[in-house]
Amino acid sequence: MGRFVVRRLIQMLLVMFAVSVLTFLIFNVIPNGDPEVRMAGRQANESTIAAIREEWGFDENLVVQYVTTMKKVFTGDLQSYYTQLPVGEEILKGLPRTISLAVGAALLWMFVAICLGLYSAVKAGRFADRFLTIIALVGISMPVFWVGALMSYYLGFKLGWFPNGGYVELTEDPIDWAYHLILPWTALAILFIGFYSRVLRSNVLDTINEDYVRTARAKGLGERQILIRHVLRNSMIPIVTLWGLDFGAVVGGGAILTETVFDLQGVGQYAADAVGQLDVPPVLATTIFLAFFVTLMNAVVDILYAYLDPRIRLQ
Amino acid sequence: MGKLSRRTLALFLAVLCMAVVAACGDDDDDGGGGGGGGGGEAKTGGSITISQTSQPDFLDPALMYTVNAIEPSWLVYTPLLTYPRTGTDRDSELIPGLAEEMPTISQDALTYELTLRKGMKYSDGSPVKASDFEHSIKRVLNMESGGSAFFLGIEGAQDYVDAGKPEGDISGIETNDQSGKITINLTEPDGSFSHVLSMWFAAPVPSDTPFRNMTETPPPGVGPYMFTESVPNRQFVMEKNPNFPDLGEDIPPGNVDKITTLIIKNAQRQAQDVISGELDYMQDPPPADIKPEVKAEYSDRYEEVTTASTYYIFMNQRVPPFDKPEVREAVNYGIDKPALARLFAGELAPGCSFLPPGVPGFDEAMDIEECPWGNPNEPPDLERARQMIEEAGEAGTQLTVYGNNDDPTDKVTAAIADQLNKMGFEAEPKILDGGVYFQTIGSAKERAQIGFANWFQDFPHPKNFMFLVDGASIQPTLNQNFGNVDDPEITKGIAELNQEPELTDEVAERWRELNVQLVEEAHIVPYGHRKLATFLSERMDFENCRRFHPVYNNDYSSWCLK
Amino acid sequence: MATEPVIEQTGLQGPAAWEEQAEREQVHGLGPWRLGLRRLRRNKVALAFGFLFVLLVAACLAAPLWADHVAKTGPDTNHLSDTIQVDGETKNVVELDGVPIGPQYFKADGRFFLGADRNGRDIMVRLLYGGRNSLLIGVSAALITTILSIVLGLLAGYFRGGADIVIRALLDIIWSFPVIILGVALGVALALGGLSIGPITIEGDSLLITIGIIGLVYTPYMSRPIRGQVLALREKEFVESARAQGAGPVRIMFTEVLPNLASTLLVFFTLLIANAVLLEAALSFLGAGVRPPTPSWGTMIDEGVDRIATAPHLTIVPGLMLVLTVLSLNVFGDGVRDALDPRAKVRIEH
Repeated sequence: MGRFVVRRLIQMLLVMFAVSVLTFLIFNVIPNGDPEVRMAGRQANESTIAAIREEWGFDENLVVQYVTTMKKVFTGDLQSYYTQLPVGEEILKGLPRTISLAVGAALLWMFVAICLGLYSAVKAGRFADRFLTIIALVGISMPVFWVGALMSYYLGFKLGWFPNGGYVELTEDPIDWAYHLILPWTALAILFIGFYSRVLRSNVLDTINEDYVRTARAKGLGERQILIRHVLRNSMIPIVTLWGLDFGAVVGGGAILTETVFDLQGVGQYAADAVGQLDVPPVLATTIFLAFFVTLMNAVVDILYAYLDPRIRLQ
Repeated sequence: MGKLSRRTLALFLAVLCMAVVAACGDDDDDGGGGGGGGGGEAKTGGSITISQTSQPDFLDPALMYTVNAIEPSWLVYTPLLTYPRTGTDRDSELIPGLAEEMPTISQDALTYELTLRKGMKYSDGSPVKASDFEHSIKRVLNMESGGSAFFLGIEGAQDYVDAGKPEGDISGIETNDQSGKITINLTEPDGSFSHVLSMWFAAPVPSDTPFRNMTETPPPGVGPYMFTESVPNRQFVMEKNPNFPDLGEDIPPGNVDKITTLIIKNAQRQAQDVISGELDYMQDPPPADIKPEVKAEYSDRYEEVTTASTYYIFMNQRVPPFDKPEVREAVNYGIDKPALARLFAGELAPGCSFLPPGVPGFDEAMDIEECPWGNPNEPPDLERARQMIEEAGEAGTQLTVYGNNDDPTDKVTAAIADQLNKMGFEAEPKILDGGVYFQTIGSAKERAQIGFANWFQDFPHPKNFMFLVDGASIQPTLNQNFGNVDDPEITKGIAELNQEPELTDEVAERWRELNVQLVEEAHIVPYGHRKLATFLSERMDFENCRRFHPVYNNDYSSWCLK
Repeated sequence: MATEPVIEQTGLQGPAAWEEQAEREQVHGLGPWRLGLRRLRRNKVALAFGFLFVLLVAACLAAPLWADHVAKTGPDTNHLSDTIQVDGETKNVVELDGVPIGPQYFKADGRFFLGADRNGRDIMVRLLYGGRNSLLIGVSAALITTILSIVLGLLAGYFRGGADIVIRALLDIIWSFPVIILGVALGVALALGGLSIGPITIEGDSLLITIGIIGLVYTPYMSRPIRGQVLALREKEFVESARAQGAGPVRIMFTEVLPNLASTLLVFFTLLIANAVLLEAALSFLGAGVRPPTPSWGTMIDEGVDRIATAPHLTIVPGLMLVLTVLSLNVFGDGVRDALDPRAKVRIEH
């Protein structure tokens, strides 16, 4: 096991290195035009552009440029050219909000997906199952920002049942914090509920036919007990690993859209605003960090999976 | 009649007198401040919350250059010269601020002498020294602020910039802390320099203010208000400055004690909050679809004012087909100004004058009634435009219309392209990101044919606008004369008038003639002047406590609660 | 988006499966494709949704018809100063204070059916043309992903060794970026100056950039399962016999391996279009996709959200069209997968 972990971690570091190189290429090399003009954005004048060129080493070779860029990103020496504020600080400020959104949504979707998936599997082939399948498919077909915008408008603004966007610190008022997050959690979860409930359903259906379940039935265990003790637990392994991967994807992807619609001012919205301003440093930093996060989650999940399923370790 | 009536009459008179006295003495001023309000006596005290849609670019007087930053900050940093805040026409004329008197300008117009008022303190209690002025200018130049260009005409300024050392000296500025005397030498006469001295860039800040962006901890200044808190992207707070000296009637202290500005991205929410009273003011106008409701139901606390700004279309005279004057004239005939005004939700006053109202040289007649291209409030002469373009052989010519993705610029650009199509061209809009727009069209390499442009005054001097059409200001990158306008007569005229040290009526008249010539010769296509809005909550006293300043927009120091 | 489900034949493998298949064929005399079609025909729901998709595509392709004959205007034509006749009354398309006219349905002979936007453009026309753009981007991107995945999957799975390691590493890297983030990063980077590959320059606001980005971003999700299948297929007897007969690798890939991937490819392609359309909407909403004034469902939702308080239909309608398109693709794709191999399980592989 130990050797596997080491191998996997080394692999992770290599991927992170490659990710950083790719991000560097995306922002500084691939596009047309001068990177220093792109970075200067609204503040461009002759001297700012020259200053950027020197600071980032754009007149030197690619390797030097890469090292300079990475140094800036990781030592927190990165400054947004639009707001003139340090990128690292802004990301740290927004992080708790993004995590609040992601964790809450993840817990919500797991809970609902398990219930729906289980129910669907038990009633497989019947109307309830088909109906829930359609609902699940509708869920994965809806753009999260559209759902969010409509929810925010109808439930928040018009009916006033929920606040119309905004974020309250957990430390300030936990109840208000949750109250403000209910709509964003739901909007984000809808997408994943659809997907996960179907995955769980098919996993459960497979497991139900496995030998050990038949044995349990033969032993005289009740359906309910079988379901929960044997079936669910074994169906969960792939779910758990998937969950880990998707959590990374949510923090990376879904958050950027949901935060924008609900004005939560997290890391996602920070990145989205920078996109709108063509402000390169924040987008560069958030891209690298999010990709790193996903890579880390992938490694953690792999290690977890290997722990749970010894066969993997031998591959 | 008789005794009864005389007594009755006396009683009646007594009651009448009491009523009059009661009415007169009602809005008593219990605070210390002077009058100077928008009409009646203002109630002082209280705390208000206002909103802006985006974070001010900087809360540092050396660096800031957006309305978001300037509207609150001019009340914190008073420069040597400033403008009255009376709510009358006088508000566009310079008066001494921190200086004792208007500057003494030498015969050759190269030397400006001023004396700092005695005994002034910054909001943190430290004394104001003459040498602080030089320090402020150094910060502007050393940090490569957007405002440095205004000060490069000072002797030694360019050398200071080239040397790159913050602690260096600017030879053209001499100060004496003992006497408070400040002497500034220019390399050549500059008629707008007094106005430059009134900009927030030139406001003195303590000499120990570091050479870096101080947005998170704005430096102290001399003004009715001071910054007490700054959390970028969330909020900043201003409170009355206890050390604000008496600078005369024309520069009153504020009424309200505390102003908290929140950054709220959603304009709809801001409007709803002003309506409900959660917010007391929103800096941006209410969004277009909520506007009719606001105008209809809340007209007692909503007003639109035309600002000294011009929105125009540039036509690059170095790139076909706009090298042909008849093509430029045709476009002027064909642009539908009322249509474009609709895209601003009515916040654009259609007009033909390049110099806007409020800037000397503005021609009211030419702006509307006597516009050479037709009344801007009427539909355009499309037929004539089409004909002229055909005769010039440019029907079907491909055009790329440049614009940026700010709102409503992208829509205006699409509309302009559509109108050019109706005139016979094959026009397509090209929308660039706001962050890079002006650099791109200002680059000669790009050869941008035609596109969106606008300018809001920095100060009410024609030079501030005319440099945009001055042949002498053309440069290969970061050019602001997007159309490369270089008419020899106009360029010469601008150069001559720039040297006039004072903006007398006669000088203003000559600027007006240049303005008219510019428009008549179809060098640009002005189509209107932007209006900004004042929308206050119920509890603000809209009637008596409201001033819209021609240079700095809404004057927070005029506000008071009911 | 989440990881893509992988399709794998996990029923009987090896000689037994082939026996069984042969038996079935003997009995019915139908090939696996005809069999699949039959099963599909029995799945009414999938068919219904497939038909819905075709309808939506047809409606969008018919955009010029609507524009020319009913709305009598194009998607980019502004009508800021124009008026229309509604029930005998003359109304401004855009009022002086900037408020555009609301949905007219058929009151103005079909003009401004859903109303106008702030530039006075006909929203219904833009919706249809926007749909054309969104679908064009979706299908093209799906094509790019498919072609790239086939090439990479074949190379990695068939040749293994060095090529496999390199390709897998490359895909792993792309896979580490959350889909939207990568799309946004590329969108931002390429928006300004465009892209130059040798002599070819693509402008920053071209649809090709968006198509390329989406196509690239989804490649790992499809390459993986393709590679997996190729790995399995190359061990099969018919491949070995072809090799023994002296066929070169390229020939084998095209004549033996590729046809057996066909069903996987088909299902994936359908699902890819759905995801590509959703991604385009997300990117355009953020400003890193389709650039204004070109319409697409994403940009229209973005514009609609600004006016949601007074004109919610501007947000609801493009979103609904999007959801129906994606849903119909998802349901139909599901049905196709069921039909081509009812024993196929959805198994997650990573």
